[in-house]
Amino acid sequence: MQNQEVEKQFEKHVKENELLIYKICRIYAYTDADRQDLFQEIVIQLWKAYPKFKGQSKFSTWLYRVGINTAITGLRKQKNSVTSYEPATLPIHHQDENNYEGEEERLLRMYNAIEQLNQVEKAIVMLYMEEKSYDEMEEILGISSGTLRVKMNRLKDKLRELTKNN
Amino acid sequence: MELDDLKETWKQSNKNQKLKNTDFMELVHHKSYGPVSQLKKGFLKQIRLMIIVPLLIFATNLDDVQKVLTSVLFWSYIAFCAGLVIYSWRNYVLVRKMEIKDNMVKSNLEQQVSALETRLRWQINGVRIAFIFFMVLTEVLPYFQHYRMLDKWHSLSPFIRFSVYAALLLLQYFAARAVLQRKFGQHIDYLKGLVKEME
Repeated sequence: MQNQEVEKQFEKHVKENELLIYKICRIYAYTDADRQDLFQEIVIQLWKAYPKFKGQSKFSTWLYRVGINTAITGLRKQKNSVTSYEPATLPIHHQDENNYEGEEERLLRMYNAIEQLNQVEKAIVMLYMEEKSYDEMEEILGISSGTLRVKMNRLKDKLRELTKNN
Repeated sequence: MELDDLKETWKQSNKNQKLKNTDFMELVHHKSYGPVSQLKKGFLKQIRLMIIVPLLIFATNLDDVQKVLTSVLFWSYIAFCAGLVIYSWRNYVLVRKMEIKDNMVKSNLEQQVSALETRLRWQINGVRIAFIFFMVLTEVLPYFQHYRMLDKWHSLSPFIRFSVYAALLLLQYFAARAVLQRKFGQHIDYLKGLVKEME
């Protein structure tokens, strides 16, 4: 009975934050198959770590920690090559958006540039795009907010350069 | 292109992501294929094997139980297997600690590096101890029991025998380091690189 309750609670929490897992998978895995593997692995790790979640931090913060830890340390295949995203794997946009094509292309270029960053830089960029405060980023990554600010400024420059070259 | 300009597009793209109707509780019952799970499975397999093999040796010699039970070689083998079981269990416990992944990313990485380095040290020392164990056994066995297979070896001069042992130990030292560096060292270096990146 108690187990069922925990399962229900876990399922509810994860369903509410499902998108975050997709985002981690999109940043850290390069093919559909890899993304599916990573998605499954993150959910398994979340379930294993769930008894330790005491609600001291937001569930999303806790999920980012487990997700990024799994993605960084759990991937067995290291892919250094830069691959382009196939249109089928891109998120679906509203077709009636005015500058749909331009935005999609810009995002695609940004994704390609993010792929060239290292694992830590990817996490910082993802959290920044999610509009997480530096304090929250510190809570997830364990890097001081001062260092994060410096790193973020450098990363912006780096991405600007990378997107120029793409 | 500015990163800040893309924030809105990023948010929109995620909002419109088509979600599959995932059955999470079904998913959590799948096997984990992460490296930590693979290591855990490997150690459990090693423990099972080291328990089964002595039993099999015993079972195949049931017609002369007395001979098996008074054999120094058999008991030495039991001691070796027991040592390996303890070693694998300690490794299993260490690797299990690496599985907890809800710490901050940096401290999790530091924890993983420290656990892997400890494991690497144990592995290098473990193989060395096993080598020394068998060398000592080869030398002292004839004092307890006569084994024809050791006659030829003991007919050689002690100088040659101990030179071979020393050469084997030296070879083991370099071979173990090279193999383990290829197996775990690269991963440890990769994790250390990430920790450095976070400083």
